[in-house]
Amino acid sequence: MPDSLVFPYYPINDFGPAMKGMVIGGLGIFHVFLAQFAIGGGLLMCYLEWLSQCGKSPDARRFVDNFFKLLVLISFVVGALTGVGMWFTSIQVSPRTIGLMVGEFHWIWAIEWTFFCLEIVSGYAFYRYGERLDDRSRLRLLAVYSLAAWFSLFWINGILSWQLTPGSWVETRNVWSGFFNSSFWPSLIFRTIVSMTIAALVACVVINTMGALDRAARTVLINQSARLLTPMLAMPLLGLWYFASIPADSRAWALGANVPMMMFLVLSIGMSLMIGLYAVFGLIRQKLYVNGATATLLCSLAFAATAGGEFVREGVRKPFTIRETLYSNSIRRGEVEALREKGSVTDDPYPLRHADALPSDQLRLGAKVFRFQCSVCHTLDGANALVHLAGAWSTEQKRVNIARLQRTKTFMPPFAGNPEECEALVQYLEWVVADSPTTWPVSDDRAVLARIQQGLQEAGTQPGEMFTHPARRESR
Amino acid sequence: MGAPFPFDFPLPTAFYLTLYLATLVIHVAFMNYVLAGSAYLAAFAVRHGRDSNRLTDHPLAGPLRDWMPFMLSAAITAGIAPLLFIQILYQRQFYTANLLLFHRWMAILPVLIVGFYLLYLLKSRIIGEASFVWRIVVGCGAFACFAFVAWSWTENHLLSLNESAWSDQYASGRLFFRDPELGPRLAVWFTGAFPTMATIVAWQWWCLARLGRPVPATANQSCTRLALSGLATAIASAAWYVENLAPELRDQLVSSAYRPYLAAALVGVILQAAGWLAGRNQAGLQRGRLVLISAGWLLTVVGVSVLREGRRLAAIDVTALYDLHADAATVGGLAVFLVFAALNAGLIAWCLVTVRRGVRNQAP
Ligand code: HEC
Ligand code: HEM
Repeated sequence: MPDSLVFPYYPINDFGPAMKGMVIGGLGIFHVFLAQFAIGGGLLMCYLEWLSQCGKSPDARRFVDNFFKLLVLISFVVGALTGVGMWFTSIQVSPRTIGLMVGEFHWIWAIEWTFFCLEIVSGYAFYRYGERLDDRSRLRLLAVYSLAAWFSLFWINGILSWQLTPGSWVETRNVWSGFFNSSFWPSLIFRTIVSMTIAALVACVVINTMGALDRAARTVLINQSARLLTPMLAMPLLGLWYFASIPADSRAWALGANVPMMMFLVLSIGMSLMIGLYAVFGLIRQKLYVNGATATLLCSLAFAATAGGEFVREGVRKPFTIRETLYSNSIRRGEVEALREKGSVTDDPYPLRHADALPSDQLRLGAKVFRFQCSVCHTLDGANALVHLAGAWSTEQKRVNIARLQRTKTFMPPFAGNPEECEALVQYLEWVVADSPTTWPVSDDRAVLARIQQGLQEAGTQPGEMFTHPARRESR
Repeated sequence: MGAPFPFDFPLPTAFYLTLYLATLVIHVAFMNYVLAGSAYLAAFAVRHGRDSNRLTDHPLAGPLRDWMPFMLSAAITAGIAPLLFIQILYQRQFYTANLLLFHRWMAILPVLIVGFYLLYLLKSRIIGEASFVWRIVVGCGAFACFAFVAWSWTENHLLSLNESAWSDQYASGRLFFRDPELGPRLAVWFTGAFPTMATIVAWQWWCLARLGRPVPATANQSCTRLALSGLATAIASAAWYVENLAPELRDQLVSSAYRPYLAAALVGVILQAAGWLAGRNQAGLQRGRLVLISAGWLLTVVGVSVLREGRRLAAIDVTALYDLHADAATVGGLAVFLVFAALNAGLIAWCLVTVRRGVRNQAP
């Protein structure tokens, strides 16, 4: 059985002091913010165009034409390219994850692509010719544009929410049961509201730059745009619905079991709350004017909230990138057992980049194991550094805790190598902690390997369980 | 290999290959417009110096400058579809090349963003009023961006085919991959982009004429000259490319599976040349002639794309991938895709009709 496993090894790059998750999270924030701006922007412009055509807003039409130019200039360009960028970054961070996603959902992506095409044609048509069209065509073109933009959210949302809550897809492998998963609707509605919020806030900034309008006219436009902030009132409920729909351990990470993640969540909620309060009391009830600086500040808050949200979303999937299926380090759940027998890097064709700097074969093996199994979440001495996390541990503690990795912290996958690899990794960490001396003794004590083997067996090959009582765990 | 491509492959493989090629051809059309168009605009800015801005009604520079940003959006969007299918067809090859080139590969994104804004700048009033030196800088800068992107795709492609080089490439940490095919291959793409661009510009003038816009007297001649010189240099580049190719790869291209496509490409070139030559002294751009040229273009590009695939398939063991393709073909969603593809194609057509009606009604 182990021999039949052909593991698809990919070259693994070193991201320097950053964790790979940070890279994808960082780009993700920009992309999500811009994409949501485009979606909400479509809805906002439909609304204002409609107001203008009903005679309820004399300056809305001018605003729509202005705002659309900005939308095209920013979101067509940077939004579209950061979208491709997300794809490329996903390949860099975890080729197997994106490969599996493409395999399962390529028709969903193909559908999304037809909406992209519609979005750029309708958007560009409005951008170029909108000012020369009659009212009915204008409104319809805008409606088609915003529908296309919103539907691209609809489709991608199914794939992204599936990563965290694949539900019955795990057994059925049915595309639609994966797509309409338990967090699909709460996250779709939530993101739609976020889109409207971002668009309304950006609109407030743009309206402030329209020097040709007097302050009264601008106030009217601002208050009309701010109506898109009203749905924010539903956010707390949607948030609860969302949290109810995700796995219990993911919920627990965000709600306190993992401190950085909770901080991001609190940041996100705090920022949203500030925007929401300002919107409801200032803009909607009191019909206040908001100046350019305040509007820009509110936009920055929205950006920070998006940032927090995206980090949490990327974070709570641990130890999986696709729940119950694929671990963050690109090992499938069912492959751990075979890799434990065969050795996780035995067939890895990619050499180490600085092999000569390491004094022994054992350390070279350890470095390869680190690269393959740990480097997606840890650096040696940068972010989430192993030297800092485990530096103070004794050698024996390192052995025990790495052999039973999924129990050391349940958001780590099980160790997927043989005892020799585990010991090599331990020696490698010791060597790094000792400041990389030029000589290092080889550790090949049989008794040590036997103890590691026992630890591996006790831990098992399944993911760690946060909510199983330790006593029950032992008795299994 | 007996039957013509792709009939010798199992159905799932043939299916995804066909989809990949069909969508790649769309990407090529827009990408060619951007690549050749930006090269033309850069050369134009250099050649006409101070005057380059006054020549707004130039038969090529005018529409190019105006339409370039949209065409770039279209090239990017059209690129997403083959990007999807390539991940099903050659997942490991494509991803590995991406990973090996690392920062060098990821650089195409910021470079495209810069290129995009340079194109907007190029058509803006600001640059029109600025010193001509700025127009040269911006024009050449935009072209440099797209040339870099084309080079990156070609390099990535060649690296993805060369599995024996992967391990060394990784160990060395090099961000560039040198390959004797790189130069000639890029030359084919670059020179071949001009006939495509000239054809699209010719259609643009044809549409404008129908909308009542005056067409410059030299439009036909300019397009013809550009297309014919593009065709001639593309043929020379292709000859250079084939000469540099290993003999067994050359044999693959004339094997029975690929011979029909070689023939199609050549017939396409002849049709294009004939179409351009036949009307070279005429004043206008007639629809019949443009249809003939476009049909020739399609034959050539489809033929060349399939030959390009033949070169790839000669380098990798595709039989090992059959199971993966068959596996991918079992997932659902195709029917829903077809429904939405039809629906959205309809909506796109509706947008175009609406705009045309609107513009006609407003025309003086
Ligand atoms: C899915 C991502 C992920 C993978 C893969 C992963 N870890 Fe971790 N690991 C974490 C996170 C997150 C923490 C918690 C950091 C914190 O508490 O600040 C952690 C903590 C640790 C700790 C400290 C535990 C403690 O109790 O303080 C050690 C040691 C460790 N990891 C070692 C490893 C080793 C060795 C590997 C590879 C065999 C590995 N990890 C793979 C995510 C991962
Ligand atoms: C202006 C920008 C671009 C230019 C000039 C360009 C140019 C090219 C060239 C020259 C090739 C052929 C490579 C070869 O066969 O040697 C190619 C292929 C391809 N391009 Fe583009 N491209 C651009 C943007 C994009 C974008 C943004 C995407 C993705 C969204 C994309 C997707 C593809 C795909 C999937 C292929 C096929 C690759 C392969 O088969 O290996 N392109 N492009």
